[in-house]
Amino acid sequence: MKEMIAKVITSIVVATACTVASFTAIAASPSPPLLDFTIDNSTAALQRGAELVQGKCLLCHDLKYVKYRHLADIGFTEAQLTLLRGESGLEDAVLSMMDSDARQEMLGMVPPDLTLITKARRGGERYIYSFLLGFAETAEGTATNRYFPGTRMSDPLGISYVTDEGERQVIYQQAADIVAFLSWAADPHATERKTIGYYVIAYLVLLTVLLYFMKRRIWRRLDDE
Amino acid sequence: MKNRLIEWIDERFPLSSFVKDNLTSYPTPRNLNYWWGFGFLAGFILVLQILTGIFLAMHYKADAGLAFESVQYIMREVNYGWLIRFLHSTGASAFFVVIYLHMARTLYYGSYRAPRELMWWSGQLLLLLIMAAAFMGYLLPWGQMSYWGAQVITNLFRATPFIGDQVVIWLRGDFSVGDATLTRFFALHYLVPFLITGFVVIHLIALHTVKSSNPSGFNLADKHNIPFHPYYTVKDLFGMAVFFILFCVVLFFYPYFFIEAENHIPADPMVTPSHIVPEWYFLPFYAILRAIPDFMGGVIAMLLSILVYGAMPYLDRSRFPGGARHRPFFRLMFYIFIIDVVVLGYVGAQPPGDTITVVGQVATFIYFSIFILLPFVSYFEDRWLIKRGLPLELQCLLDAKKCDLL
Repeated sequence: MKEMIAKVITSIVVATACTVASFTAIAASPSPPLLDFTIDNSTAALQRGAELVQGKCLLCHDLKYVKYRHLADIGFTEAQLTLLRGESGLEDAVLSMMDSDARQEMLGMVPPDLTLITKARRGGERYIYSFLLGFAETAEGTATNRYFPGTRMSDPLGISYVTDEGERQVIYQQAADIVAFLSWAADPHATERKTIGYYVIAYLVLLTVLLYFMKRRIWRRLDDE
Repeated sequence: MKNRLIEWIDERFPLSSFVKDNLTSYPTPRNLNYWWGFGFLAGFILVLQILTGIFLAMHYKADAGLAFESVQYIMREVNYGWLIRFLHSTGASAFFVVIYLHMARTLYYGSYRAPRELMWWSGQLLLLLIMAAAFMGYLLPWGQMSYWGAQVITNLFRATPFIGDQVVIWLRGDFSVGDATLTRFFALHYLVPFLITGFVVIHLIALHTVKSSNPSGFNLADKHNIPFHPYYTVKDLFGMAVFFILFCVVLFFYPYFFIEAENHIPADPMVTPSHIVPEWYFLPFYAILRAIPDFMGGVIAMLLSILVYGAMPYLDRSRFPGGARHRPFFRLMFYIFIIDVVVLGYVGAQPPGDTITVVGQVATFIYFSIFILLPFVSYFEDRWLIKRGLPLELQCLLDAKKCDLL
């Protein structure tokens, strides 16, 4: 019993020490503030984002909870979907071109699934946007990421080496479109949810006002006594 | 026709008298404010949780390999699955908001005092059951925080004397949280709400025996009672509608507010999140657990911090009925307590650090001090009140005459 308590305490102490250490490590190299941008939820932006994701991300990443059929929700026509999905069926998930084993072998890991990525990181969409644009070239000539030092992902959009201002603007736009699409992928019913929300709340406000007057009217009976 | 049907039923089942005794003629003090509406609201949320839970269970798969995916299936493929899921996940938090406000009202107005001890204790039991349901429900999405939260909390049962190790294995069904844990938590998560419903009935039977307390703290004479229906049904419904507006704002516009980012990553026993936090409603207790440097001591302190409420009827030694309204020191302690709990909640959410640990320890000390000091404070407060002359309102109530109680 005593031994066990000692073990548990030691493990807690070690865990605490590790946590503290990791936090001081983070504190020692503070990441820069996240970049700001506005998410463009237009069909055009989402479609651009989807095509960019297919071209740039799907080489290594999956979006395993998104099916090609779902992409019809952001306005892709059947013909466009056929082009996008290639040999995959409409009911198939949007997966990487390489299977997990191949990626494990080539990259040493299976990169994280992107379906929920904008929800799964603190900072959400802004973090992913900042991360995509956070690549920079070091003095040694290798690319690093300001928001995720030590990431094994290489710069997908070329922000670390493109210097032409016009081209950089294009990259900013691409990052915004990619994040808009990923944000949709993580929460595909968001627009519908908000629309319903306005109606529900409007209805509830009306109901509440009516209940208030009903309450006043019923309670007024007590004044007569 | 209608009357004949009711007559037919009444000969066989006490329908009319039940409605009369418990609604249309059930005596309720007429001076209850909106703080008295949270019990009704808690009942509403219980029903909401059970209903949405049943529909979620139709699509959810309690299997370590399928659970995370099945939640995504609910969110994406099931018609309005996202709505059912968010109602349930937001409802869990709303349940605790309502329950904590309900408890705060009981503490402020001294509603736990004789003859309402059994109501208070059945409420305590309900709190524990709701906590158990919430804890087990949080494992089901099988995200990283679900997994590691369950790992940490089941590990606390190691503090059980003599059989700690066995208890933990018995709870998990395995040496660490895994598929066996998920399936049993799902089974129990489905069972506990029905136990809760049963204890709610007991809570209500006790209520209908002792009747509602009221802000004055005095047992008001019959002439100050009004029937529950229609006066309090409409008042509670109005309060509920207001609350439901706030609920819907979160539900439709900020449904991810109560969901940790980490929980969007499927559970991975090989990767520990850098910072494991329980759900917000456990944070004050979690802070108390961490404030004590000793594991065993921490677990005991945390248990005590929840169970100590049960002693309130005995810790409060005032001879004047009621709670904070007539008693300045008690009122002060109440507010200090509320602030202290909020501080503990904040501390519970922070990663451990030198300053935060000290803040947590001070807040824990204050938390328990309040309960320990209460018998003395309430005793001397009475004497102080008598010596100084009772507040007019209290004097009036004690004389039970001609003053306007409401």
